[in-house]
Amino acid sequence: MAIINQATKELQVKIVYYGPALGGKTTNLVQVHEHVQTIEGQKGKLVSLATSSDRTLFFDFLPIEAMAIKGFKTKFQLYTVPGQVIYNTTRQLVLRGVDGIVFVADSQYDKMEDNVKAFQNLAENLQTLELDLNEIPYVLQYNKRDLPNAAPTEYMEFLLNNREVQVPSFGATAHKCQGVFETLNMITRMLLHKFINESNRVKQLV
Amino acid sequence: MALPQLIAEDMRELDRVLSDLVTRREASAALIIDKAGFLIAETGDFGEFDSTTLAALAAGTFAATQGMASVISEPNFTCVYQQGENFSLLVRNVDAETLVMVVFQAHVSVGAVKYFANSAVAQLARQFEAAQQRNPGGKVDFAMMNMENSGEFFRKAG
Repeated sequence: MAIINQATKELQVKIVYYGPALGGKTTNLVQVHEHVQTIEGQKGKLVSLATSSDRTLFFDFLPIEAMAIKGFKTKFQLYTVPGQVIYNTTRQLVLRGVDGIVFVADSQYDKMEDNVKAFQNLAENLQTLELDLNEIPYVLQYNKRDLPNAAPTEYMEFLLNNREVQVPSFGATAHKCQGVFETLNMITRMLLHKFINESNRVKQLV
Repeated sequence: MALPQLIAEDMRELDRVLSDLVTRREASAALIIDKAGFLIAETGDFGEFDSTTLAALAAGTFAATQGMASVISEPNFTCVYQQGENFSLLVRNVDAETLVMVVFQAHVSVGAVKYFANSAVAQLARQFEAAQQRNPGGKVDFAMMNMENSGEFFRKAG
C-alpha cells in the first residue's frame, strides 16, 4: 500500500499498467515520460527491463512527482508488467503493494480474447496477493483506436467493463499521446479520493 | 500487514542506523526500501546514483530471488549480493515489509558488510516494530488536506 511518511510529509503511490502483450503499456509510460510537465528535477528516468527486441521482461519503471495534496510531496511510481502469458510470476511480483491499476486493452478485434484473459489474470493475481479488484481503484484504457480493425468501444465495454461497479474508461492512441494523460489523471484522482474517504471513515468510527 | 506510519523519531533512528552502517564499513551508501519498491530512507554519497530507481530495482531483484527460493522450496534466502568491478551491492531482508541495501566499494570485504548489516537489520526491525505498536493500523488524516488542482495532476507539455 501507499507509503505515508509523516516525518517527511511524503506520500508514495504505486500505479501499475496491466494488460495483454503488445497492448501499449510501455508506450503509455514512454509518452508520460516524454511529455509530462514537471518542475526541474521532479521527473525521474524511465527504466525498462526489456529483452533485446524491446519486449518487457520484468517491468518498466517511471518515478514522477506531483503536488497533489496540499502540504504533501506526492511521489508516483508508474510500473508496467510484462504482458506475455509466460511471465505470470513476474506480474505477481510487480503487483505487490499496488495502489491503482490502469488496464491497457488492445482495441483490435482479434485481440479481444487476449484482453479478456489478461483481465481475468489480473483478478486472479490480485487474489493470490490477498487483494481485491473491488477495492483497488482501476481504470480501463482502450488503446490503438487509430487502427482500422478497432472494435467499437461499446463492445469493449461489454467485454471488460461488465462488473457490478463500472469504472471510467478511455479511448487512446498511446503512440500519439492521445488518452494517455486523461487515463493517468483519472486513476490518480480515484486513488487519492479513496485515501481521503478511508480517512473520513476512520474518523467517523473514532 | 503494511508498513507502519513513520514519525520524526522513527526517521531519526533509521538515519542513525544507516549512517552507522556506512561509517563502520566504508560503504558508499545505504538505503531502506519498502518491498513494493518505495525508498524510505537513504544515507551516503549517491553522486550520480538515482536512489529512487535503485530502490525499485532492488525490491524487484529481491522479489525475484524469493520467487526462485520458493521454486526450489528454500525458505531462507535472506540476501542478494552482486559483486562488481567498482561497486558491489548487498540487499538484506529486514522484516515482512522492508529491505536494507548497502552500496560499497568492490575492494571492501563482503563478509564484514554482511556482519554489520545483520546488526543493523536487528535495530531497524526493532524500530519498525515500535512504530507499528505505537499506532497499529494508523492512517494519516487526509480529510484535513485539500487536493490541489484535482482535475489535472499531470499536465502534458506543449
